[in-house]
Amino acid sequence: MRSRRSGGTSATASLRKDRGPADDSVSSLATDPSADPPFRRVLVANRGEIAVRIIRACHELGIEAVAVYSDADATAGHVRAADTAVRLGPAPAAESYLRGDLIIDAARSTGAEAIHPGYGFLAERASFARAVEDAGLVFIGPSADSIAAVGDKLAARRLARAAGVPVVPGTVEPAAVERADGVEAILVDADSIGFPLYVKAAAGGGGRGMRRVTTRADLPAALAAGSAEALAAFGDGAVYLEREVRPARHIEVQVLGDAMGTIVAVGERDCSIQRRNQKLVEESPAPGLTAAERREVHALAVQVAQAAELKSAATAEFLLDEDRHFWFLEVNTRLQVEHGVTELTSGIDLVREQLLVAAGRPLSATTIAAAERAATPGRHAIEVRLTAEDPARSFTPVAGRIGRWAMPAGPGIRVDTAIEAGDRIPPDYDSLIAKILVVDADRPAAIRRLARALGEVEVTGVQTSLPFHRFVAGHPGFASGTLSTDWVAAEWDPAMEADRGRALAVASRFAAAVAATAASSVAPTDAAAGRDRPSSGWQRAGRDDDTDRWPER
Amino acid sequence: MIDPRPGKRMFVVEPATASRLPGDQSQRIDASTVEVDWIGAGRAQVHDEEEPARTVLLGTDRPPRPTTRRTIEVVVDGWRFELEVEDARRADLRKRATRDQESVAGAGGPLEIHAIIPGRVVAVAVAPGDAVAAGQTLLLVEAMKMQNELRAPRDGTVDRVAVGVGETIDLGDLLVVLT
Repeated sequence: MRSRRSGGTSATASLRKDRGPADDSVSSLATDPSADPPFRRVLVANRGEIAVRIIRACHELGIEAVAVYSDADATAGHVRAADTAVRLGPAPAAESYLRGDLIIDAARSTGAEAIHPGYGFLAERASFARAVEDAGLVFIGPSADSIAAVGDKLAARRLARAAGVPVVPGTVEPAAVERADGVEAILVDADSIGFPLYVKAAAGGGGRGMRRVTTRADLPAALAAGSAEALAAFGDGAVYLEREVRPARHIEVQVLGDAMGTIVAVGERDCSIQRRNQKLVEESPAPGLTAAERREVHALAVQVAQAAELKSAATAEFLLDEDRHFWFLEVNTRLQVEHGVTELTSGIDLVREQLLVAAGRPLSATTIAAAERAATPGRHAIEVRLTAEDPARSFTPVAGRIGRWAMPAGPGIRVDTAIEAGDRIPPDYDSLIAKILVVDADRPAAIRRLARALGEVEVTGVQTSLPFHRFVAGHPGFASGTLSTDWVAAEWDPAMEADRGRALAVASRFAAAVAATAASSVAPTDAAAGRDRPSSGWQRAGRDDDTDRWPER
Repeated sequence: MIDPRPGKRMFVVEPATASRLPGDQSQRIDASTVEVDWIGAGRAQVHDEEEPARTVLLGTDRPPRPTTRRTIEVVVDGWRFELEVEDARRADLRKRATRDQESVAGAGGPLEIHAIIPGRVVAVAVAPGDAVAAGQTLLLVEAMKMQNELRAPRDGTVDRVAVGVGETIDLGDLLVVLT
């Protein structure tokens, strides 16, 4: 018997109150390694750290993991971690990781019963989920219908509104950008919403198709540009209007559902430190929320998830405005990049739960218990995304080969990565190279631990986002919890140059010292010395060059 | 420009193109004032009078090219730099050689052509008294197993050839004088 209180005000509204024998069996399954694995073999349709993270969960459940790879990733970390690996195609994602047909073939040929899509690539394509289902395989994630129901942001806005969840003020139908009289109607809508506002893509993600509009006159051009960009990026040019909420904090709630219809919220995350709508720092719980506010936003998330009939893991995103009101933004039907902070605070293994519920099992007792204390977590976790990007050049991605690679360790540290020393960072994919997570008793302790952890990071060969993370960890504004989505531009940009300048001064002095100690063996310092010697410095240098191990570009 | 004091090791250091930002300048650094403690392979602490010691990572250290500049990868506080380091005396010579050729190329007076790379002269194509046209080959210099043609920067007459076949030349050496 599954009781579900719909539209409840508590985050635990949907908790099953009857903790029968089923719960005990789940509990023993989670802790007993001899329990039946939910699947025998699972294909992981992704790459990089998330593929490794999923493979680890598979192995802990006694499931064999099948990796897929492109030519750029033939020896990559996720291939090394898996039990079997299948080549998909050339490096470009469109010819490899986005080839759903090849991935389903690979699952069939290797005898995999289920496919975990990770995040990105095919994770939120309803058509792929449906193709997997049609092939008689299990898609580890929400059903194709659920993905379709909330994957369109406009549909999600309508669904949330119907479920009684406040949505960011704006339109709920696609803007008729191509009709001559359409623009007039949109301007009327815009006036009632108020400026500044955003033009957003219904199929949007990662800020693509999005335009900030400050005046009425700029709206028609922004609609056209946003629609064109959305069409190019997603094959769907539908756009809508949404009021700008600023300053705002970005709060997202992790929900988990099972096939029996139980849906719980297991905690929220704050993702306010962003740059160009890309999250850079995530933490859980969101700092500065009261337990009552946590319960409120968790309950809103459960309401949306129930309306969408979500099973598996999903995330409902909200904005928190200055008046402490939560506004629904969208639902992500995938495992989030930042899922680890929730795992560290809740004690849940979200990927394990995904695998179990995909096999038709109920949410584990661990999850049910975690949901009950989700508003008072008693721990604090922070994640930073270490990327191969240059913070001095607006976080431009850089490719290259990793030289030295040392990640932090010790109490309260978790590092999710697929990288090891000598690995090449291909230019074809996301620039994320490692997620560094810390957990401690409270936020101040977690920040100190983060600073300690970042001090242990050693990466050469490519520029990383590390200087930015060090800056955040040491910043009093971050410590005091005064966060907003404007934070990066306001604080980092002016400080960056000085921070880099100090490092450059030290690096230059060091380089001179290195040259001085090595100079006598590689280059004659006296211009005349090389003259009559049978072997001059440059000749030796020429020989050295044959064995030069300069990384490939 | 050439530092006469023994024990002083001046270097010119500047970010290579890959890690240069507008505003970055080349610096002259006396290496003898830099105190470095190595703590494991490729990792060191740099001491400074005013600031606390900083840990630095040494990445790839590319051997000098014929230009005598070496490129050293250094990471400090997460910032990665590819730094070109050159002995200050060589840097000065190189600059002078380049400048001389540039500034005199258009003028009417005698033009001294200096070596802008070190190497070995493998052929001399002209003799004193020869009339040469701009772009004509004067010398062949082998460096890094590559033969480099040294060409006349302008029309003129060869006044003097200062080097012979087989001779090793260094950066800044006088090679040919044109009038």
